[in-house]
Amino acid sequence: MTPIVRTEGLVKRYDGTLAVAGVSLSVDAGEIFGLVGPNGAGKTTTLRILATLLAPSAGEAEIAGFSVTRNPDEVRRVLGFMPDVFGVYDDMKVWEYLDFFARCYGIAPAGRRRMIGDLLELVDLADKREAYVQTLSRGMQQRLCLAHALVHDPQILLLDEPASGLDPRARVELRELLRELRVLGKTILISSHILPELEELCTSVAIVDRGQVLAQGRVADIERRLRFGAVLRVRLLGESEVLEAARARFAADPDVATATVLDDGTIELGFRGDDAATARLLAESVAAGLPIVSFARAASDLEELFLQVTSPDREPLEAA
Amino acid sequence: MTEAPVEAPLVTAGLPARPRSRRLSTLVRTASGIAAIGVKELRGRMRGRRAFVIVTLYLGLLGGFAWMVATLIAQSYTTGFGGSSAFASAAVGQGIFAALLMLETLQVAFLAPSSTAGAISLEREKQTLDLLVTTPITTVAIVFGKLLSTLVYVFLLIAASIPLMAMVFVYGGVGPEDVLKGYIVLIATAIGLGSFGLLCSSLVKRTTAATAITIFGVLAVTIGTIFVLVFWTAMGGFDSNGNRKPGPLGIRSPEVLAYLNPFVAQADVLCGTETNFGSGWCGGVAALVPTDDGVVFTGNAVPAVPAGPAVIEGVVVDGKGVAVDQFGRPLDAGPVQAFGPARDRIWPRAVATWLILSAVFLTLSVQLVSPTRRWRLRRPRRASATDG
Repeated sequence: MTPIVRTEGLVKRYDGTLAVAGVSLSVDAGEIFGLVGPNGAGKTTTLRILATLLAPSAGEAEIAGFSVTRNPDEVRRVLGFMPDVFGVYDDMKVWEYLDFFARCYGIAPAGRRRMIGDLLELVDLADKREAYVQTLSRGMQQRLCLAHALVHDPQILLLDEPASGLDPRARVELRELLRELRVLGKTILISSHILPELEELCTSVAIVDRGQVLAQGRVADIERRLRFGAVLRVRLLGESEVLEAARARFAADPDVATATVLDDGTIELGFRGDDAATARLLAESVAAGLPIVSFARAASDLEELFLQVTSPDREPLEAA
Repeated sequence: MTEAPVEAPLVTAGLPARPRSRRLSTLVRTASGIAAIGVKELRGRMRGRRAFVIVTLYLGLLGGFAWMVATLIAQSYTTGFGGSSAFASAAVGQGIFAALLMLETLQVAFLAPSSTAGAISLEREKQTLDLLVTTPITTVAIVFGKLLSTLVYVFLLIAASIPLMAMVFVYGGVGPEDVLKGYIVLIATAIGLGSFGLLCSSLVKRTTAATAITIFGVLAVTIGTIFVLVFWTAMGGFDSNGNRKPGPLGIRSPEVLAYLNPFVAQADVLCGTETNFGSGWCGGVAALVPTDDGVVFTGNAVPAVPAGPAVIEGVVVDGKGVAVDQFGRPLDAGPVQAFGPARDRIWPRAVATWLILSAVFLTLSVQLVSPTRRWRLRRPRRASATDG
């Protein structure tokens, strides 16, 4: 399948600082693609380049086959963009807001009215049609902004931190909405620094830090590709000397990448081995007389992955 | 919610078929963009009673002012030893015209630019510009839409004043063409200074700063130009024969400064209604902007000699400036001197100046609003450098 969003060595410099340092992404049609990274990783800059709001210093970006630098008008027609921070116009009703953007996209008056009704249904704001935009709650404004990005029925949605500032309930609603949009056939590129948000939602992710893609692909693939297979949590009886001795012992194991004593007395191991290696480690530890209370493999989720690959003292990883 | 009702309309509410010609498509897009912005801005501005209250108050103030001026002038004719009542009526008409025109100029000179000064910067501050720029709407449409929707409001106030202004015809002393000239200057001022405000708004990020710069600019063209012109002229002065003599800054004050000042342009329009000269509006204009062909109210200066036969002040002259009869024989009257103020000299140039400046301001604004087109002049070079 040809990717619908593709960037090749995207670079953006701001007065000497490198915000994006060679980002190459590839998103297939119909995916919900998560762009994950800490604040300042270059997610927003990348999305703004894709949204034709910034010109890249170097590199190429294509959306649905159109170059963002050479064919920005075509790109804007296939793209719906929701920035991370956005405002609303005062003195404007909800339907007028959507009507305004529909006019900007040159949608004929006949289509506008029905489309506005349908979109308000979709984002669950139908009863707020006549309300002033500035009176809506943050979550409602967020949904309205999402609706604005849909007025021209774009193939691709770029959502920059869409869940930031939302309460848990609004987040769940947003997630449901995005799923619905995926069913409608939209390709969604979504950025976030909060992982659990994306984990359940995304089909693929790219982990970005300091302007570079550290890993990219299907969530499961990334887990496999990265060497850290799992995190083991071991709880032991005993005081700090015992814990320290145990930690040193674990650290000496060839399959253990990291061993840390946590505040609650648990030892956390970054473990490279497979299940057999896990069983071996447990057997050896028990045989060595370590007073093990529990020995469990922590679910290796995106968050863990994220912490591993973006840790401040991480070794440079090969970009996937 | 079910999918069905959503999916179908989303597909049918698609975009209109794109015109074949790229240029035509851009034109259509720009026009519909201007319409979109215009509708949005005016919906907000005209909502509720606010606009009508403002127009009513504005007309009330304008009418009150006109009445006071009329009363003042009428008073001066009843208590003083004025001329005929016909002349008094004309004087009242001219007085009202002058008062209304100057007041409206003041209003336009400040209202138009201060309304546009927030047009772009408010979008930036409220973070709505990104949403707008990512639509296919052209930056030309954004800039022109903002300008036009602001100007429509200013023009509404101007139009609302027309019936009030028509009151001068009851008194006389002012011709319809004078009123027309006055409104042309008003509109050009609104467009020019409105564009200036828009440029400040797209140049500066903060609305408060943009407004401050705009107001400073307006003060510079209204008060600043007059000050410089007065200073310049005062540096010159007259010699013992009553002719102008050059000062340290040269004899000719920079007349273009007068073109920038809408009040001087209006004074020139008002000068057109006057029959006397050497005082009043004509005198004021001439004192600020002495023309170098020595026109004229001193009566001593030599007028410009036309290259060929011409008519000066109703007298036919030959190429040497000598008055001739219908057969081309010189009359005894001697060289004809253009006598009277130089009318209609400033305001047409002021209108042209502001329209040209407006085009420059708007072009710059379009470049500044465009997110990626901003440094287009430089980019091809860079691209070729990386290619090679």
